[in-house]
Amino acid sequence: MYAIEVEHLVKKYKEHLAVNDISFGVREGELFAFLGENGAGKSTTINILCTILKKTSGSVSIFGKELGKQDDAIRDMIGIVFQNSVLDGKLTVKENLFTRGSYYGMSKSRIQEQLSPFMEAFELDEIWNRRYERLSGGQRRRVDIVRALIHAPRILFLDEPTTGLDPMSRKLVWNYISYLRKNRGITIFLTTHYMEETRDADNVVILDQGRIVAADTPVGLKSRYTSTKLIWYTGQSAQAEQLLAGRDFSYEADHYAIPMEAEITEFLYQHRHMIQDYEVVKGSMDDVFLKLTGKELAS
Amino acid sequence: MRKFMGLTRRNLLIYFKDVQSVIFSMLTSIIVLALYLLFLKDTFVDSIEGAMQGLKQLVDMADVDMLANGLLLVGILSSAMITVPYNCLVTIVKDRECKIDYDISATPMKRWQIILSYFTASTISSIVMAALLLTVGMGFLASRGELYLTAGSIAAMYGIVLLGAVSSTALFMLVVLFFQSSSASSAFFGMLSAAAGFVIGAYIPISQFSSPVQTFCNLFPASGITVMFRSALLDGLLGHIDQEIGGVDQGMFVESLKEVFSFRTRLFGDELSLNWTVGYVLALVAVCVAAMALIYPKIYKRK
Repeated sequence: MYAIEVEHLVKKYKEHLAVNDISFGVREGELFAFLGENGAGKSTTINILCTILKKTSGSVSIFGKELGKQDDAIRDMIGIVFQNSVLDGKLTVKENLFTRGSYYGMSKSRIQEQLSPFMEAFELDEIWNRRYERLSGGQRRRVDIVRALIHAPRILFLDEPTTGLDPMSRKLVWNYISYLRKNRGITIFLTTHYMEETRDADNVVILDQGRIVAADTPVGLKSRYTSTKLIWYTGQSAQAEQLLAGRDFSYEADHYAIPMEAEITEFLYQHRHMIQDYEVVKGSMDDVFLKLTGKELAS
Repeated sequence: MRKFMGLTRRNLLIYFKDVQSVIFSMLTSIIVLALYLLFLKDTFVDSIEGAMQGLKQLVDMADVDMLANGLLLVGILSSAMITVPYNCLVTIVKDRECKIDYDISATPMKRWQIILSYFTASTISSIVMAALLLTVGMGFLASRGELYLTAGSIAAMYGIVLLGAVSSTALFMLVVLFFQSSSASSAFFGMLSAAAGFVIGAYIPISQFSSPVQTFCNLFPASGITVMFRSALLDGLLGHIDQEIGGVDQGMFVESLKEVFSFRTRLFGDELSLNWTVGYVLALVAVCVAAMALIYPKIYKRK
């Protein structure tokens, strides 16, 4: 079953086309990643799906509920972690979470019940009575995620959840996301401009200037748009280039880069006496993005 | 209802948990108190004494002192009724600036619930702060002498607090829509703090201004509220002073005090009775609420 179905979605601001006729589907329980640079239309799309922005045209349904007609039902089913913090700095973690829970009509006891599994998993005990403004970036993100989950949504939207976090906090956020997938089976819709964050996704959509330029699994994208390379560390020489004759190769700094596929093992064995310092580098999502858009993203 | 209560509670917490914000929202009241202690009281007492020629033997100076103290309490209360609701409603600006309104809009809360919760939280905050000031102020004045208040006038004072909170909130709900950033709204607050004391006649009685300036000041509901406060708090004391004089001046002294210290609203050269002042404030509230009903749904409409 599709958790999200988007057909020919368009969002126009006067003359600017922020989202340009995109269609995709997200299956229930999957981790779906939206990859693109800033201004590609990722956040606009999320804000449309979350009923915050109005679509110009196209259709969106979330668990069968039609956007624009059954918005309240949709709002009950979705949780959002925004790019920027939207909790109140002067309030404690507890006050923030209880007030947000009440926006969904939840009683105090229900909020408490809903929060209890997260208290340990998200280590909320230690920060429970601290003001949100006094938390570290990683702790804030933790609370942001719990806030988005407070009403037990079926889909969690994460809009660049790790932007601005240090590597340790990023890792922790990903641990929490993994926990949610394993323990809750929740559908996760992620936008990011960090390449490596799409590695664990079930499906990735690459967005450029409001358009979908590719959509597949990470493995599918890599195999379609990148090739494995043999990196041979050696000085540039006529002898080496004679060996590579007929192949598409380039020399960069201290190595030759030679795109290769299945024949790589045979090639290495054949020339084992000459090629001694080497590595085999598989295509990355960076390469996919670069190939598709001609631009490089943050890694 | 729980959704509306939840957002209202959050808006209340934001104001009351920020001690600095609470103190700054009382800035004009603090300035009025400071000026009063420094020189305003002497100015008020001197001007009352100046009007007492031939009556000094008849009027107890303790009553004059109490009258000046009462005018101070009215100034403190009325200025708080302007600055507190504005400070609370700056939350709307901050929420829009930090996109917290996106978070609220993505919940099943109805748009009218969101708007009403800002209104309610600001009204409650203003009532709490003003009622606190009023209670403490009346307690302090009672400890210094006799105010000649009846149960009815005390009840009226708290009623005026309610009307003042609603009217200021209704007006500022529209004003805050002009600001896109909290820095702009803070800059406006600086001007508002400075102007509030003059508009309600806390520093200089409004009667000292020219007729067009008096009209301008009295267009704001806060001026009407101040007039109501003065009457409710000090009519008893003025009645007592009039009794002390015993009709020698045919009530002229008390009437002149009411004239000088603006116990009636003056609009376009005409004097409004208290009932008309209440009616005017209620009409302004109705106009502001109608404008809110028209404008706010557009602001919170999905774009």
